Amino acid sequence: MYRYDDIDREILADRVAEFREQCARRLAGDITEEQFKPLRLKNGLYLQLHAYMLRVAIPYGVLDSAKLRRLAHVARTYDRGYGHFTTRTNLQLHWIKLRDAADILESLAEVGLHAIQTSGNCIRNLTADPHAGATADEVDDPRVWAEVIRQWSTFHPEFSYLPRKFKIAVTGSPTDRAAIRVYDIGLRLLRDDDGALSFQVLAGGGLGRSPHLGSVIRDRLPAKHLLSYLQAILRVYNRAGRRDNPNKARIKILVAALGVAEFSRQVEEEWELTDQASIDLPDTELARIRADFQPAAMAVLPPVSAAFEAAKAADPALARFARNNVTAHKQPGYGLVNVSLKAIGETPGDCSADQMDAVADLAERYSLDEVRVTYEQNLLLPHVKLDDVAAVHAGLVAAGLATPNIGLISDIIACPGLDYCALANARAIPIAQDIARRFADPALAEKIGQLNIKISGCINACGHHHVGHIGILGVDKKGEEFYQLTLGGAADDDAALGQALGPALSADRVAPAIDDLVAAYLRERRAGERFIDTFRRTGLAPFKEAVYAEAH
Amino acid sequence: MKALTANRLIDGEVVFWTGETWSERFAAARLFDDESAAEAAEAHAKSNVTELIEPYLIDVSAVDGGVAPISYRERLRALGPTNKLEHGKQAAGGADIAVLAAAHGAARSKGRVDLIRRK
Repeated sequence: MYRYDDIDREILADRVAEFREQCARRLAGDITEEQFKPLRLKNGLYLQLHAYMLRVAIPYGVLDSAKLRRLAHVARTYDRGYGHFTTRTNLQLHWIKLRDAADILESLAEVGLHAIQTSGNCIRNLTADPHAGATADEVDDPRVWAEVIRQWSTFHPEFSYLPRKFKIAVTGSPTDRAAIRVYDIGLRLLRDDDGALSFQVLAGGGLGRSPHLGSVIRDRLPAKHLLSYLQAILRVYNRAGRRDNPNKARIKILVAALGVAEFSRQVEEEWELTDQASIDLPDTELARIRADFQPAAMAVLPPVSAAFEAAKAADPALARFARNNVTAHKQPGYGLVNVSLKAIGETPGDCSADQMDAVADLAERYSLDEVRVTYEQNLLLPHVKLDDVAAVHAGLVAAGLATPNIGLISDIIACPGLDYCALANARAIPIAQDIARRFADPALAEKIGQLNIKISGCINACGHHHVGHIGILGVDKKGEEFYQLTLGGAADDDAALGQALGPALSADRVAPAIDDLVAAYLRERRAGERFIDTFRRTGLAPFKEAVYAEAH
Repeated sequence: MKALTANRLIDGEVVFWTGETWSERFAAARLFDDESAAEAAEAHAKSNVTELIEPYLIDVSAVDGGVAPISYRERLRALGPTNKLEHGKQAAGGADIAVLAAAHGAARSKGRVDLIRRK
């Protein structure tokens, strides 16, 4: 993990002192809310329905036990004892008081946490593959490059007032676990035949009101030119992106308007004019950053753990957990342990302070002190010896965090929705809770198999509904909460945008409709097909019939 | 019928104008039958920049047992989140909270629409 040096610490200390003074001036009436609002937003402080919300950046979803314990401390001391992990792998605290905000940021800064790049029309906090550094299929560690981009983009003066916010995701693996096609820029590391690293560069993805999947604008960019090429993309966007209409200001609109070929041509032209050497990262700096991501020494172990196999044979709950929540590590004898924040009937992504402490303890003891946050709103312990999985499972059971449902129907993404968010049109959380309760039986959930349900409480799509196998969008119909269903979306390697199923449903009809969709799938599916595979083969018709049959 | 609401600057708490002061309970809100009196109160609240953020008028109407905001968004503000009933104003309980929680049917209040438009 990147370790903050004296310069980083000084930047954070200055930032906190500046914000403390800004808060004092606001409370004294020396500046108006109109003047203060952009300042507090740049420090991650939003006003929501019931209180202020602080969005804490978790750069590329990477935490250690000290950071996670500090988040727990802040949640316990200044909030109501919990936080909400988001699809951007940040943590939102929903009950913050303005009078505490500077103290909170000071406390976070002590462990290298902050709320920089969590608001405003800048390059936002990056996301990356949560399996980074632990998966056999990656060509290089995406965290190294995400950290390079973070350092380059933080407070970048040219890119602090872009037409709209700007999000970048990085993966080092051919398997997309970072949803790079729905980002403004998606980066995929490739290893060339001669061993050199390059990036496949995608641009123009994004969800929200006008969903677009990103397109490849350059297939092979030598990795050493990453920063100058990003600058070229951002310069083209900064110059030509629309500023007259916030709904049309994201880069996806520009790429769609110009066409991918023309957008790429403009980027290449801009890049050719750039003094690349003055922008690209010197090898010495890259080596300095890379040094912080060197893998910790791992034990040499047999690929199969006799202790783990025996424990699974003796404990069906552990066996189920292992099937659904533990995935293969590049190092024989290790696994990645997914920690579901989707306990049945609970709020997706919510984690209590006690649970954060419990995960921090497990990470410190069993996972080389590392924790990851996934965009599916779960946590992950990336380096667990298979010999230790039973102990980790027991620890998770004790903390209420052992739900064996990763990727299954109850592993639902849901934004905070109208229960908290000032922008939402409808609630998302109760819909997720209803559906999860209906599929609480873990055997049923396993029988159904992979099924990604994603719920957003408004068109801004924080809940990624466009790319859910089943997407659910809350809308306001004459003052009532209604929900539009889409089918066939996907965020991974076969990324696709969902297709509308039919007329919007009232809140009480959503969970029964999911029942109908699942029944149709179980009826239609062929051997080995996931829900999404069946949908791709059959199209909407059998599903539409299942949900709307009564209306005919 | 209208009521006047805002968030309190120092802690973000939802508050309602009682006619004399700002209360955390919707039940204490002054109810305006007269549009111009409501707008005058709103204008006065907007000048109170060291205590409040974004004061605005909401539509309210008679319901079983009392009065409630017409829009469900405003009822959520007056109660708290539905996923954690132990948080927000609803945690205190009481007859007035029960009235709000039982209210249903909705039409979005004009004040809120204007607020969203501004955002």
